[in-house]
Amino acid sequence: MSDEAHIVKSYEEELQNLNDSLIKMGSLTESQLADSMEAIIKVDKESADKIIANDAKINELRAKIDNQIMTVLVKRAPMAIDLRITISTLKISHDLERIGDLAKSVAKKIKPLPHDLPKELIGSLRRLGDLVQKQLRNVLDAYLNKSKESAITIWKNDEQVDDLTNTAMNEVADFLGKSKKNLELATHLLFVTKNIERAGDHITNIAESLYYLIEGEYLEGARPKGKDIEKN
Amino acid sequence: MINNKVKIKTTNLNVYYGDKQALNDVNLEIHSKEVTALIGPSGCGKSTYIRCINRMNDVIDICRVTGSIEIDGNEINKKEIDVVSLREKIGMVFQKPNPFPKSIYDNVSYGPNIHGLAENKVKMDEIVETSLKKAALWNEVKDRLNEPGTSLSGGQQQRLCIARAISVNPEVILMDEPCSALDPIATAKIEELMDELKKSYTIVIVTHSMSQAVRVSQRTGFFHLGKLIEVDTTEKIFKNPNNKMTQDYITGRFG
Ligand SMILES: Nc1ncnc2c1ncn2[C@@H]1O[C@H](COP(=O)(O)OP(=O)(O)OP(=O)(O)O)[C@@H](O)[C@H]1O
Ligand SMILES: [Mg+2]
Repeated sequence: MSDEAHIVKSYEEELQNLNDSLIKMGSLTESQLADSMEAIIKVDKESADKIIANDAKINELRAKIDNQIMTVLVKRAPMAIDLRITISTLKISHDLERIGDLAKSVAKKIKPLPHDLPKELIGSLRRLGDLVQKQLRNVLDAYLNKSKESAITIWKNDEQVDDLTNTAMNEVADFLGKSKKNLELATHLLFVTKNIERAGDHITNIAESLYYLIEGEYLEGARPKGKDIEKN
Repeated sequence: MINNKVKIKTTNLNVYYGDKQALNDVNLEIHSKEVTALIGPSGCGKSTYIRCINRMNDVIDICRVTGSIEIDGNEINKKEIDVVSLREKIGMVFQKPNPFPKSIYDNVSYGPNIHGLAENKVKMDEIVETSLKKAALWNEVKDRLNEPGTSLSGGQQQRLCIARAISVNPEVILMDEPCSALDPIATAKIEELMDELKKSYTIVIVTHSMSQAVRVSQRTGFFHLGKLIEVDTTEKIFKNPNNKMTQDYITGRFG
């Protein structure tokens, strides 16, 4: 990091604007993810439409960030920390966009749900959703504070996301095992669970990009994997 | 591709112009058959440094050079060194193209003549042609070899100077901001030429363009106020330099 400002003020502004766009995109993604989790658990079909429509805003921001980055690249030929900021922002914005897409996919599963969720399935799904939301909030905070330690913690915590995903999947499988009538609901819920897990993977990507931005090196070593996750 | 054979090594190199110290204990290894870029703010001693390598500072009366300069392990910072044959091994290209007020042909044949590299006219024609070809200038001048070198465009003049530098088969080519007066096409031609030349020569280039350093060099050294602050692979320097001063300079944050 550098505490010094650029001699060229407009360069400083361009990087600041880029930062602002990313933060805006982050908070939008955060609320989309929160809304979709809330809506799926309550089977709130009205909110679903709103969430689906809102995804366009995230995509717009992504396009804006792409443009801002192209401008910085050609105008400034950024070096060192500026280069890492630019490239990491590009990658992070794409991961945020994907998380937004996954929130939208979750929302899309709400409408065809045949009835409310059985109580026994709500607990795990909520825990998984809460954890992934917490991970996203933390990674956005870590980005704001350029915290290398938080980036590492978030990256490691994906193991818990994998574990909770497994639990949730197993519960849905048990529920399906009880009756063939449960097939439709169970199928939708398996997709939903998988989508949340994938949102978690994008969060770890963001943690990796952030670590690279700060350190100029890649996070080393394999991320710990939740037990049995490979079998799914 | 990083080469580890050291061609030039300076140890505790200090340079003074009168009372003023221009270089301060510079320890730098320049690797063989690579391009090394020297960067840093104006007045930090880049030109002074490369002028040490071919003893060009000798011509400046008030200039005093202490410390060791080795080329292939041989000390050259000592009185007994034959400066003329040293400069045959070490060519130099300056910021402003400076062709002699002579024909294109004579500009290139001048060095080989002095050093007696051609026994006859046929041999000399050959040297002139290959030098101009290596400098990527031959096609543009082959029909006007007797015209004055100064009649060429700036970019062509710079390539003529490069042809002149390589005509004596040097081992090292020193370039002091060779592209600062050139347009992007002429710059691209020189950069392309450097890629080619580094297969046979060791090149040291002083440049104020960080982008150019990234494009042409494998290693980069950053100078500040007469000190070598950091030297590393160019990739390391432009992605993640170790020194904060280096980073502030290359990112345009320097006060
Ligand atoms: N012939 C000279 N007589 C006295 N001082 C000199 C002479 N040449 C250079 N200097 C001084 O030595 C210092 C280093 O100069 P040098 O030309 O090596 O800098 P540089 O890094 O090449 O700068 P630039 O990027 O402007 O070409 C400067 O302070 C300069 O004023
Ligand atoms: Mg200079």
